[in-house]
Amino acid sequence: MSPSFRDGLREGFFGYLPLSVGLIPWALVTGLTMAGVGFTPLQAMGMNVIVFAGTAQLGTLPLIAAGAPVWLMVVTAFVLNLRFIIFSAAIARGFRGVPAGARWLSGHLLTDGAFAHCLEKMLSHEDPQWRLGYYLGPSLWSWLLWQVFAFCGVMAAGSIPRGWSLEFMATIALLVLLVPMARLRPMLVAALVGGGLAVALRGMPLRLGVIVAIICGIAAGFAAERWRGKDLP
Amino acid sequence: MNYDWTLWGLFILLGLVTTLPRASFIVLGERAALPENLQKALRYAPAAALAAIVAPDIFVAGGELTLLSPRLAAAAAAVTAALLSRNPWLPFIAGMGVLWGLTQLPLA
Repeated sequence: MSPSFRDGLREGFFGYLPLSVGLIPWALVTGLTMAGVGFTPLQAMGMNVIVFAGTAQLGTLPLIAAGAPVWLMVVTAFVLNLRFIIFSAAIARGFRGVPAGARWLSGHLLTDGAFAHCLEKMLSHEDPQWRLGYYLGPSLWSWLLWQVFAFCGVMAAGSIPRGWSLEFMATIALLVLLVPMARLRPMLVAALVGGGLAVALRGMPLRLGVIVAIICGIAAGFAAERWRGKDLP
Repeated sequence: MNYDWTLWGLFILLGLVTTLPRASFIVLGERAALPENLQKALRYAPAAALAAIVAPDIFVAGGELTLLSPRLAAAAAAVTAALLSRNPWLPFIAGMGVLWGLTQLPLA
């Protein structure tokens, strides 16, 4: 560990510490939901460590509970994480001079919070060691918080009786993520078209309706943005 | 519900398809760039996907479209809480409270 890596690690970690509290309810809810669909603690923590993607986990849990086909869960998880292609492209220059192994690790650990917090200094700072530390401080801390509080959620769920529909917490969590997005008009159009078509096409075989709905929703949002002639900020 | 070992295979697949978008450009570095129009369109993927997953859960019960259900009421309560407050817990308290109130309490 070089001194500049340690400096970056410290600065990144302490800057992000207050913001990271926001992760706690999400981790707890994800833990509760994983237990709610019937995972054992080992299965729940296995998913939490291997997948490490809150939205994709919450999005696939209702599908797992409903016995949906595997390919649908895989496509859904992929689509829910597509936004990270944009984040990854935006922050990529911050990893110049960083070895490939550390880049893969950094990629796996990329979260909305770490991205927002680290972007500016990642792009402006010269020293690759410092940049890597500055990124890994908040990212590893987020990973730790995510695992610990998901575990708390899994364990807490054991004391809640079955039949209390804990799996519905995934639906609420997804709605809470959707609300701030839908404040932007083209996003609202994307959501309305995606949601409406998913309901209308629910009879399609192999749940293809969900995929058709998502693709049409993306197209509708993009068209709405074009039609208004204004770009999102 | 009980799950067998195939669940672990699913986790690995999900881990792969969620890590690839995150690692994509961080690993590729300067060697690749995303076309601008694709970048713009991709911004709508989360909203469209979230709504497509959530809507059938709220508006469909037993294969039928339903506009009066405990789940819909609970979802409405959760969205209202999310709109009115920045407290991260409130939508869950409101939503689960309504759901439990409508499904667990013995109605006279």
